[in-house]
Order: sequence, then C-alpha cells, then structure tokens
Amino acid sequence: MALHHFAHRRTAGDAVLPPGQGLTRRQMLIGSLATVGGVAAASSLAGCAPSASASGLHELAYWHLLSGGDGINMAGLVDKVNALDHGYEATQTVLAWGAPYYTKLAMASVGGRSPDVAIMHASRVAGYAPGGLLDPWDLDLLAELGVAESDFLERVWAKGGLDGKQYSIALDSHPFIMMYNLDVADQAGVLGPDGQLAPIDSPDQFLEVARAMQAVTGKHGLSYGYLGDGAQMWRLFYTLYKQHDADFDLSGLTAKVDDAAAVESLEFIQQLLDGTICTPSGDYGTAVSEFMSGESGMFFTGVWELPTAKSSGLAFDAQPIPTLFGTPAAYADSHAFTLPHQSSPDPEQRRASYQFVADLLQNSLGWAEAGHIPGYQPVVQSAEYQALVPQAHYAAAAEILNYDPEAWFTGSGSDFQNYFLETVQSVYLDGADPAEGFAAFVRRVNVQLAKPNPV
Amino acid sequence: MTTTVAPQPNAAAPGPVHKQRGRFADKAGLRIGERFASPGRIGAIVALVILAVFWLLPFLWAVATSFKTETSAAATPVSWLPPDGFTTEAYANVLREGNIPLWTWNSLITATAITLITLAVTALAAYAFSRLDFTGRRWLFWAIIASIIIPPQVLIVPLFYEMLTLNLVDTYWAVILPQVVHPAMVFILKKFFDQIPVELEDAARIDGAGRLRVFWSIVLPLSRPIMAAVAIFVFIAAWNNFLWPFIATSDASLMTLPVGLQTVKSAYGLQYAQVMASAVLAALPLVVVFLFFQRQIIKGFATTGFGGQ
Amino acid sequence: MSSAALDASATGAPPRTTTAEEVRRGERERRARDNRIGWAFVAPFVIVFVMFLIWPLVHGFYLSFTGESITGAGGELIGFDNYAEALRDPIMWRSLLNTLWFTVLSTVPLVVVALILALLVHQGLPGQWLWRLSFFMPFLLASTVAAQFWIWMYNPQLGLVNYVLGAVGVEQIAWLQDPQWAMLAVVIMTLWWTVGFNFLLYLTALQNIPEQQYEASALDGAGRWRQLRSITVPQLGPTTVLIVILQVLASLKVFDQIYIMTQGGPGGVTRPVVQYVFEVGFTGYRFGYASSIAYIFFAIIVIISVGQMRLTTRRSA
Repeated sequence: MALHHFAHRRTAGDAVLPPGQGLTRRQMLIGSLATVGGVAAASSLAGCAPSASASGLHELAYWHLLSGGDGINMAGLVDKVNALDHGYEATQTVLAWGAPYYTKLAMASVGGRSPDVAIMHASRVAGYAPGGLLDPWDLDLLAELGVAESDFLERVWAKGGLDGKQYSIALDSHPFIMMYNLDVADQAGVLGPDGQLAPIDSPDQFLEVARAMQAVTGKHGLSYGYLGDGAQMWRLFYTLYKQHDADFDLSGLTAKVDDAAAVESLEFIQQLLDGTICTPSGDYGTAVSEFMSGESGMFFTGVWELPTAKSSGLAFDAQPIPTLFGTPAAYADSHAFTLPHQSSPDPEQRRASYQFVADLLQNSLGWAEAGHIPGYQPVVQSAEYQALVPQAHYAAAAEILNYDPEAWFTGSGSDFQNYFLETVQSVYLDGADPAEGFAAFVRRVNVQLAKPNPV
Repeated sequence: MTTTVAPQPNAAAPGPVHKQRGRFADKAGLRIGERFASPGRIGAIVALVILAVFWLLPFLWAVATSFKTETSAAATPVSWLPPDGFTTEAYANVLREGNIPLWTWNSLITATAITLITLAVTALAAYAFSRLDFTGRRWLFWAIIASIIIPPQVLIVPLFYEMLTLNLVDTYWAVILPQVVHPAMVFILKKFFDQIPVELEDAARIDGAGRLRVFWSIVLPLSRPIMAAVAIFVFIAAWNNFLWPFIATSDASLMTLPVGLQTVKSAYGLQYAQVMASAVLAALPLVVVFLFFQRQIIKGFATTGFGGQ
Repeated sequence: MSSAALDASATGAPPRTTTAEEVRRGERERRARDNRIGWAFVAPFVIVFVMFLIWPLVHGFYLSFTGESITGAGGELIGFDNYAEALRDPIMWRSLLNTLWFTVLSTVPLVVVALILALLVHQGLPGQWLWRLSFFMPFLLASTVAAQFWIWMYNPQLGLVNYVLGAVGVEQIAWLQDPQWAMLAVVIMTLWWTVGFNFLLYLTALQNIPEQQYEASALDGAGRWRQLRSITVPQLGPTTVLIVILQVLASLKVFDQIYIMTQGGPGGVTRPVVQYVFEVGFTGYRFGYASSIAYIFFAIIVIISVGQMRLTTRRSA
C-alpha cells in the first residue's frame, strides 16, 4: 500500500525544474549517478497516476499557513466548498507561519511533488515567481469559472502580476487598521453624530483624541505592541510613511526613499509611545489584552484580530488608520492563491484546482467574518457583506492599501521586517535618533539590494 | 555519533561481548550491606533521588498536561491536578486527525529499511576487510575510517541537490539512502570479526563452502550480539533523526514522526494539551521498547557507544 | 582447487610434490580470487559510501564556488566570492560564535554531570534499572519530542520551571524569549536530553574497573574517598578523554533543539552555524553560498578533531 511512496509520483523522465541552465547539468548528473548506483531505477518504478481516487474525485493538496482563528475559519471554508461536490476533495495542510512555510513551499516546488494549491502572501510573490517556483494562472480558464480581473481592485490584482503573467489571485487583503472602544470614545466626547469616531486629519488632533481617551481609561489612550516584532513596527511605520505620499523604491541598486517623511513618521511614533498615550515597551500580546480589557481607547492592529475583539464582548468599532499626513494610506498584505510549480501537471487535476480556488473566492463571505476584506469584489459588494459591522466600516482600507516595497527579500515573514526591527527598535523603545535609525535601516537594505535575487 | 580514531580504551571494546554478560547484575549491589548507613551513603541516596526526580519531571509534567482539558492546561496558577479532572480528550483529538499513526508508520518503515540495509552492506564490507586480501583494501579501509570525521550536517545542501537530480525528493528512498552509510559500524564489525578464530571457517572451507556461505552460516551466527548492538544503534538513530528527513520530505504524508510533529501545525492554534499528547504519543514507542529491552539496548549503546574507537 | 592452495599456503607448508611454477600459479589464482570476492563483498557499501557521502562532499565543495540557487539558476563558477562574502558576513560569524559558545557551555556539564550520575548509580543502590531508566531514557527521545517537553517546561506563565522558581520568590523569566537566558535554557535542555549517553559510557567504564584493586586498597585501609581519588578517577582517565572528544564534536553539530525551541532567536543569539547553513540554502535559496559556509564549518571541525587527536596521542605517548 504505502509502498508507492518509495517511488516518485511522476515518472523519472520528467524535468524536475523549469528550463534553465541548471537543468541540463542536473540531467547530465542523473545519467552519471544512475550508472553508479542504479538507484534512480527505483524512481522509474513510479507510475502512480496523479491522484484521481476511485470515486472519480480529484484529491487536491492545499497548503496554507493560517492557524488560530484564521485556521478554524479556513477549515470551515474548505469543508464548505468540498461539500459543493464540484469534483474535488481538498485536504489542507497547515505549516508554521513565516519562514518555515516559505522554506518548505520552495523545497516542495523544486522537488516536483508540490501541493496543487498554496496560499502565499502577495508580497512574497515577487521574490518567488521569477525562479519558476510558481506556475502562472491561465486567465481564460479562470474566467470560464467566473473569476476575472474585473472582479478585483486594481492594486490587489496588480500585485499578483509579474512580467505580464498572473502568479497569484488574492483571497483577501488584510490591512493594518484602527479599532476603538465605543464607550471610551463616547465618554471622551470624540464620537461624531453618526456614532463613529469623528474624522481626525492631523497628528496633533490624533494626539488630542488619544489624550482625551487616556483621561477616560486612566491607563492608556492607545494600544500598540511592537516589542521584538519587526512586522508590527513596520506596519505602522509604513502606513504613516505612505501617508506622506512618499516613495519607497527598491527597484534600483540602492533604495530611493524620502528621509524627511520617514523621520516625521518616526517622530510621530515616538510622540505616541510616551508612556501616557501608549506604553513604549508593549509586545503584541500585551497590546491585545490591554485593548480587549478596556484599558485603552484605540488599538492599532491588523484586521485579523477582529474575531478576538468580537469574542471579548467589548463595544467597539473599526476604521482605517486616520489620514494624518495628507494621503490616505494603509499598510496591507493579501493571502493569495498560487500554483506551486509542477513539472507536468495533469490538465484535469489542474482544472479541479482552478474550480477549488474559484469556489473559495466566491464563498469568501465566511472569510470576511474573520475580519479580512475579500479580494473578490462581488462578495464585498453583496448586501450580506455591507451588513457586516465593523467590516464594512473599514472596507475602504482596501482601496488605499500599500504592499511592501517590491524586492526579492521583502514581504510578510521575510528578513526585510527583521532588518527594520534590528535597526529601528531603539528609536521606538529608547527614543534614539529617528534619522540615524532610519539611515541604518536603509544601509542594511542596500546591502541586500547589492546581492542578486538568488532564484 | 561521529568520532575520531583513537586507540580503544578499556571499556567499550566490541570484543567478546558474551564475557561481559551479567556484569551489571553482578556488580550492582555488590557492596550493599557494607557500611550501609554511613553518612556518605545516605547523602548519595538523597542526591540520587533528587536527580532522578529532576530527570523524570519533564516527562511527568508532559503526561499530566496531556490528560488535562485545554482550559485547565492553560490555567494559572499552574497545578498538577486540574480542577475539572483528567481526560483523554487531547489524545482522542490528536488520534482523530490521523497524522500521528501515519507518521509512526513512516518512521517504522524508514527506520527498519535503514537498519536492514545498513546491517547488510556494513557486515559484508567488514567481513571482507577482516578476512579477504584484495587490492586496495588498506587505503579503502583508511578512507572509510577517515570519513567518520565528516559531519552529515555539512552535506545537507549537496545531498538535497543529489535527491533532486535522482528525482527522489519526497520519497521514502530520499529519507533512507543517505542514512545507510555508517563508516564507524564497519570498523566496529571488522574488529569483532577479527576476533573470531579463522580456524572455525577453515573447516567449512575445506568442505568446499564458498565465502558467502561461510559468512552466512558461521560468522553471522557467532556475531549475533554485535549485530544486535549495531542494529539497535542504527535503528534508534534513524527513528529519531530530524535534520535530514526534515529536508528530504515536504509532503506531510511522507514525514517521519519527529519531522511531522515539528512541521505540520494544527489549524486550531496552540493547544497545549494536544501538543503534549502528540509528544507523549511520539515518545511512546521507543520508551516502551526500552522498558522491555533495557538490558540489550544499554549493552548495545555501551558497545557501539564510542562509535568505533 | 585454489581453496586447497590457500589452505596449504596458510599452513605455510606447500606440499613438496608441486613445482615452484605450480605454487606461483596457485598463488596468482588465489590472489585474483580474493580480489574478486573481496571487492564483491565491499561493493554494496562502497556504492552507498560514494554516492551518499563522498560524492556530496565533493559536489558540495564545487557548489561552494558557484552561485547556484535552489532553482538551478546561477550555477556558473564565481571563484572565491562566496568565501569572501562569508568572511564579511556578521551573521555567519555570530552563528559560528554561538556554536562555539554552546559547545563550551554544554560540554563541561555534560561530562561532569554524567560522571557524578555514574558514580552515584555505581554505588550499587537497589533499583538499578530505575536509575538507569531515569537518566538514560531522555536520550532515546527524538529532538522534537524533547524540545516540545521543554518548550512547555519553559513557558513563562504556564511552565513548571517558573512555577518552581516562583515558589522560592524568583520573578518570571521568559527563558526562550529573553536574549539573556535563551542560550542557558537551551544548554539545560540539552543536558537533560543527552547526558544519559555519557552517563552510560561512564557506568560501563566503572564496571570494568577490576574489583581486586578496590579489595587491595581496602586491605590497606583506604576509605571510599581515597579509593575514589586513587583508583576510580585515574582509571576513568581514558574514558573521560574519549567522552570529551565525542561531546565536543556532538555539541559543535548542534541544530535540532535550537531550531525547534528558539528558531535561533531571540535576535539570533542562539542561532547555530548549522541552522545558518540551512537558512541560507533553503530559506534564502542560495545553495552556493550555503555550501561555502558549510565548508568553513567543516574546516573548523577538522581542525578541532585533529587538534584533539594530537593532544590525546601526545599525552598517551
């Protein structure tokens, strides 16, 4: 039974890798090594056809990195689309978030036995696709199944494209937003006539509101945790930086950045982290529990904390982070569907994968309940979604979202955010000079830019 | 267990193992009764008990946690006895997901294959080095001994590359093949074979038996203890190996127990009781085997322990 | 029959009836035969040995001079660029130092504690099997399992370690998350996990000390302490040397428990060099560069091994 695991699912003659010069050398090596050992012979015993089970269902291997609330939601969604009886049975495999996931995904892709469908952060696609680790989507086939470019916001769709091909299809976008405590806001007198937070459009005004809320809670006005967490630091910084309409261009040999905008953003963050408005030494978990227990009025966080906030029983609402520097902007990333490279995919199996993805997209209202903004616009425009609160209140963030600057080493779970942590944490934590901290970050980024994309 | 080449000291000689039999038993308790209540002795007992408790605590704590509900596992203050009683819920959940039995099976298949192949190729080679005078014998033997110094960790990249080339990534073979090379075991077995009197074989050879037959019907039966020791060592090393199987497999259905446990996460977030239940289940097979074959396993390690000095 | 010839030569008395020519022919035949059989016997081992040890070793060395990536791109020779980059790479140096620091921190307790445990158990107290079980069993656990146990032990709020320390008034420590404590936490876990192996080797060595020596010294009126110092410890000398050698080499190769418990963090203070090779090669996709780091590491292992060997042979000479 399990003996077929000894042999490869695909036959030995298949190219393991996308065309390139490495391939021919490796094929030569196959020859020489095979003669030495005769072991490769084992792999030609393979012959198990790509998995179409006895019932005629296509068994789909689906990888993702979502756990916790997201994981439970995704499991439910997969069960739901499996039950649609569209000719496939998808099984999900959950790997640890971040570097371990992307490591295994790449290894599986070059190994030729990759999953049929995998979730990636859209911000990682640029570093991943060029080496042939991903197969591009066949847009005609997608359109046939009811998924087309026009169903997505332009920025979200464009993020999945590279050199004229589409490598990822966004399931969602998950921006960095602001939640606020309705009771605290009410007592602080900062609510507007519609019962939502009155518009804030300058840094000083934001500080005032935060201090007013601090006066109500007696503890802090704002919860924001970042300690030891480069991603959290970067999310807030990049939101504020992009509100200056500043570029962060990593397409050249050195980073082109706007130092003034960076310094102003960092100085504002230092003003927030004054111990009164917000603790200067909070980590992610501390900030979550502080806000959830009503000890602060506002909370900078990702939309993925929505389920936690809801289950806390707190009266709260949410909105994009206020535009303090002129240009509406929010840091975001997307969970996006990709096709990890397979050497000679079975067309029927591929079609089943497309069907699976189309079904997930079209049923992503369930995903929206976890806080994420669906990528598939027909779902967002549906009456059901518009009735979801507070989701509908922050859905606009998807239109102003900004992904990580594009380079092979950036994106969620990449080293890029760690560089930010290493160089800038002292600016947040100890009030170190913002200009110096940012310069150190740019220097670190430039070292990376000088290296070629390894894939 | 890679080692250097140094002269064999007194202890773990792979020599006549049968002579060592019973030493543990003979000596344990040899001096019992002699000045039984001296202060030094009481101090030693107390120290031993404290240390043993310290060494057992992580096990006990893991087992206790695994029988709690998730709620009481994550409750503060920490307590051994959960207020809502013990439950096997975590085990039921872990087993229902089905990964642990699958990974155990994978571990069993690969570790068994590794052990059998290793024994076969290693014993044949060791016998040749011990008995047959063939060209290149000397330098080949020294090359094998010298290779003991190569840390397998250094080879992960080229080995993965080789598996790509052979189109074996994500197969059992990829897990097995690189683990059947144990140069130190060649040395251990050769030293043992050297001690078997040649005369025993000569008689059979005069009767016209070929080398393979002599090896199979005379040498191997005499070498059972050492073969068992090598088998135990190789099997346990393979069963517990992490780095290479972790690199060789990305498909969750092919992973060995240690790799799967570390790589595949629950979609339901961090659930302490379940994590501990998985760990306890993963530890169980070898712990049970150890309880039954403690003497053999300990002797096996004592024999092969120095990895072929 | 050449086997007869072999036997004849083995006894050293060729029958006088055969001519010198015949003897030489028999000898040639015997050698050819031994050659064939010998190589046939070693062939299976040599094949796996070459394919899965020697070839990767040679090929890895070649890769270290290329810009090869995981996808097969950039495979051309680039000279010593990788080595030059490695020598300027602060993370490589940091991870090498971490590995060395771990080796220093772990070797001493792993030898000393093993000796203490073995001496205590060797006292011959009742319940031998229980003691051996307690100290040796952790060694039979997979790294993943042992690491999971200790991640749980070290949990700042829910772990047993802080609970026990809290009882004596020590404040909560984030063992695996605090850069100050992470390496120590890893060392303690490693001590628990692997000391059983050294313990067993010591125990075996103790049991091999001839009983007569103790009896003789007891007749001379030597007490237990004197016996320990004058007989036991000197007799354990060679074993200790070997255990230290093995332990240093084992510690230098550390990867599993650190990768699982801290992923090399916090901030890279526990990342061992093997993990850096893995990260560069498989997370960063750079096979060529990873190979160069692996070879720098290999060179260090060889130097340390040869150094240890010289030291011990000189001492025993």
